[in-house]
Amino acid sequence: MASDREVIASGEWYPPGSSGRVIATLVFRADGISAVSADGNQLSKGALSSLSISARVGDIPRRINFSDGSLFETTDNAAIDTFVKKNGRRHADWVHRLEQFHPRIFAFAAIVVLLAIGIYRYALPLLVEIAVLVTPPVVPQMMSSGTLSTLDTTVLSKSEVPEERQTEITARFARIAGETKEGAAAYSLNFRDGGAIGPNAFALPDGNIVITDQLIQLADGDDEMISGVLAHEIGHVEYKHSLRQLYRAAGMAALVILIAGDVGSGVEDILTQGGGLLALSYSRSAERQADQRSVELMRAGGMDPLAIARFFEKLEDKFEDHSGTSMLSTHPGTPERRQAILDYARSLEVR
Amino acid sequence: MDFGTAKPAVNSFERAKFTGSASEYFGIWIVNILLTVVTFGIYSAWAKVRRNRYFYGNTVVLGSRFEYHATGKQIFIGRLIVFGVVIVLNVLASLHPLFGFVTLVLALIAMPWLVMRGIRFNARVTSYRNVRFDFVGTVGGAFVAVMVGGFLAAISFGLLAPFASRWLNRYVFNNLRYGDRKFLVDPRIGLLYLALIIPAIITIIGIAILGVLIAGAIATQSSGDLPGAVLIGSIYSVTFGVLIAYALAGIVYRAAVHNIVWSSMVIDGRHRLRSDLSRGRYAWITLSNLLVTICTFGLMRPWAAVRLTRYIVEHTAIAVDGDIGDVVTAVQQSGGAIGAEYMSMEGFDFGF
Repeated sequence: MASDREVIASGEWYPPGSSGRVIATLVFRADGISAVSADGNQLSKGALSSLSISARVGDIPRRINFSDGSLFETTDNAAIDTFVKKNGRRHADWVHRLEQFHPRIFAFAAIVVLLAIGIYRYALPLLVEIAVLVTPPVVPQMMSSGTLSTLDTTVLSKSEVPEERQTEITARFARIAGETKEGAAAYSLNFRDGGAIGPNAFALPDGNIVITDQLIQLADGDDEMISGVLAHEIGHVEYKHSLRQLYRAAGMAALVILIAGDVGSGVEDILTQGGGLLALSYSRSAERQADQRSVELMRAGGMDPLAIARFFEKLEDKFEDHSGTSMLSTHPGTPERRQAILDYARSLEVR
Repeated sequence: MDFGTAKPAVNSFERAKFTGSASEYFGIWIVNILLTVVTFGIYSAWAKVRRNRYFYGNTVVLGSRFEYHATGKQIFIGRLIVFGVVIVLNVLASLHPLFGFVTLVLALIAMPWLVMRGIRFNARVTSYRNVRFDFVGTVGGAFVAVMVGGFLAAISFGLLAPFASRWLNRYVFNNLRYGDRKFLVDPRIGLLYLALIIPAIITIIGIAILGVLIAGAIATQSSGDLPGAVLIGSIYSVTFGVLIAYALAGIVYRAAVHNIVWSSMVIDGRHRLRSDLSRGRYAWITLSNLLVTICTFGLMRPWAAVRLTRYIVEHTAIAVDGDIGDVVTAVQQSGGAIGAEYMSMEGFDFGF
């Protein structure tokens, strides 16, 4: 073979916009690159600089596009790599070289795992804080609207607590709510019969707080204890815990899908639906924050700051929950929580 | 070898092949993730191109492979536009509550448009034997197929899902073109309802088992020594249980619909396709993939992706009416899919 004519690779040639293919070879000549059919016809021709050669991915066919729109396709990746390298594009396809199965790939896997942990620990909380900052106030309202009426038609029913008793509790509630930054007007208290959820109190992000008859019964006339629990719920609203939890779940799903690309339908379902469920429960640190806020608000409102601790004591007695914190639960164990509240209240006294 | 010279038996079905491997894809996948993280997410658009090129290029039909032509830049611009619009709308919504409502309405209008553009983009950047696919569906069609269908399926607890499946697949495939040739699918509503029987049984059994569990929990509750927290916990596990039963039913239904749709597909009025996924095997692959992926903190995801793709591809077959060489040579690129509009098209890569 003469030095001015060199076969680079064999493959198939397609005319512009047509699927009618011709078996051909890609030939290098001094005056350019051409595709030549088996019977020696020149099909397309162009200078090396006018060709676009597709980047290598795995071992899929390489495409060499001529400027007239015709295409030469070959499965001989090694030959194209050699040719590209010899013609001065040495740094082409560095991504492909990284992707090859090489001990280095295990180092990459280890780095990715470390980065993933770092993102989860540091980047995700940061993103959540930014998202909370820029969230317009209508969002918590939109999140809450409908929730209470849905609960009313399913679990909750009308309160049996007498009117005057409700007024007493609401008066104390207004006293602690008045100590918040937003003032008493931002919060409203709702009385309901808890039904299946029993003695409970919970807060909606828009400032609506619900207390069940069963909780009032459990308090057995200890009004400060009821106020302590309500102050805890106000704390959840003030710190925007449900919004944070929602963003955490959504941000987690978005990050995984963005970073890992296609994650498979099963993982996607878990991330979106499971994440939604997760958003319904407060995390352990959120509970602790709300407990501390209860102590502060009760102090400021001139009531016993330890009232919420009494509530946990009562829970312990009634349900014999002496369990410690388990890895699986989001709520800290009751005795541990009570101790943390006593410690915090003491630290406020000292200050 | 050129199929123009080989003479396959007329009208016999030939299975597609998948030539990708888990170890090869692992390298592509891990480097994609690494570069995406290092570039704060920007590389994800280019990562998508490499991933799709790998899967398309390893799908072999009648001896030829598909090619994915989108560029990272196109996809990056498409994502940037959507991201920018979302930010602007959010800023507006924080200025005045009324804008929040406007945002919602705009999102509802934009959704079918984005779906249509997404399918069209994906079709136009896909080629087989140097000829591109195209998509001619309308925004109105997307609204009915995706939003109305999805809404009806959701509010009827899946009972109207066969109608949604029919509308969606007819919208996607009957508007699809390969060069100047049309696709036609006609999934029969009766067949789709037959496909719903097993998923319905799975859902009913799942709900029945959970119902017994709830009844048990409530019985213990009324005996008076179970803390509310335990009941809340069981509400969570019941919700998760319902989700799992629903997901399993969904997987089985998806496999059956895939078979029905693909087996009803006719290209250019004479070439037929067939799909013969086994529902049990498909469900097993999907579920075991999920478990293995979670247990290995995602590191086995490339293996799972290759495994599922191989199963689907290799259970798809095509029967060409006539000589394959003559048939494909007659197909010409239609004007719409190429040219300036395509080249500058932003990559809205959602949907499908």
